[in-house]
Amino acid sequence: MGVGFAVGVLGVLILSHAAYFTIQYRSLLKITEEQFSGPPINVVMELIAGLVLCMWAALTVPGKFLSILPQSDENQVVALPANLDFMIFNHRGKTLPSSMDAKFK
Amino acid sequence: MVSKTEEDQVNRLESQVENGGGGEWEYLCLVRKLKLRRSYNVLKYGLSILNDPKKRSAIGPEEWTLYEQVAAAAMDCQRLDLAKDYVKVLLEKFPESKRVGRLEAMLLEAMGLWEEAEKAYSSLLEDNELDPVIHKRRVAMAKAQGNISGAIEWLNKYLEIFMVDHDAWRELAEIYVSLQMYKQAAFCYEELILSQPTIPLYHLAYADVLYTLGGLENLHMAYKYYASTIDLTGGKHTRALFGICLCTSAIDQLTRGRNKDDKENLQLAPLSALALGKDYKQRAPNKVSMLASTLRSLKLSS
Repeated sequence: MGVGFAVGVLGVLILSHAAYFTIQYRSLLKITEEQFSGPPINVVMELIAGLVLCMWAALTVPGKFLSILPQSDENQVVALPANLDFMIFNHRGKTLPSSMDAKFK
Repeated sequence: MVSKTEEDQVNRLESQVENGGGGEWEYLCLVRKLKLRRSYNVLKYGLSILNDPKKRSAIGPEEWTLYEQVAAAAMDCQRLDLAKDYVKVLLEKFPESKRVGRLEAMLLEAMGLWEEAEKAYSSLLEDNELDPVIHKRRVAMAKAQGNISGAIEWLNKYLEIFMVDHDAWRELAEIYVSLQMYKQAAFCYEELILSQPTIPLYHLAYADVLYTLGGLENLHMAYKYYASTIDLTGGKHTRALFGICLCTSAIDQLTRGRNKDDKENLQLAPLSALALGKDYKQRAPNKVSMLASTLRSLKLSS
């Protein structure tokens, strides 16, 4: 948890550094009056690195992913709830001997 | 809807508590959340918590919910003395509560005093006309007294007001099936499938009812719903696979004299036979020969 979080923070810092660097580069180009065709190559590398780190953090920090397919083994509906609102007490269990002698104190 | 993971969790906790490993409170909370009817265990472990003042104070304000749960379990296990004690404790704590009033009326029901229970429910209904739980308890009382037609009448009236209540539709469907009124039961299952289409058990029950009704159209529909059950469970439901084979053989029997062009393609039967064979080989290898002979006799009869 701690490692993933730290990696995520690092990724966000790298992305923000890339953004800051691009803005600075653009203002530099405005001074030299050239066209802004695209960010320099090292900014692109930084962006890719930041993307990879952030994605890795986003997948590891939340923990175990649950399956959503209804046919996967964990999601099989095994039984319906026992309709406790319609529970009746007039069943055959009345004739069974009660094996519990516990009393309420 | 109890999924497999939840069922495993409950069973694990149950065996853990049975072997003295603690965790009773979690077990009781889980049973309450999943609305299971395990009254004997609930009573046993609930008593062990409530009789121990240390454990009782450890759960804090939720002990009153526990009282309610254990009282209902006591009524189910026919320990009416225990139930009476718990209801008395709850009445002392919450004297004007409707919830405790309901529990009291349930106790009267459990004791078999039907008229008093009916009076208690009517007086509770005067205060709040539209309490669904009281309506449902009236239906349950009619059912317990053996007055099934009265129960159906009350349940229909209830469903006219509260059309969204799935449990009530399911209860009505089961009552109709028990009286062999299959057309009405099919209607109830249709309502259930409309409101909760992703639960395969409703499709299965609907297909069963249609297959029981018989007739070519119903058999075709039953075939389709068995197929949708298999779709929703990823091909693992043995009963639906058997249903496909039976439907195919029944349809073949009915359309035996007709022209080949009129017959629709029912191609799922050999596939489901294969799937069944694989399943049996994996889970019950000594019954594979019995399965093979059954499937062969189904095909021979067509």
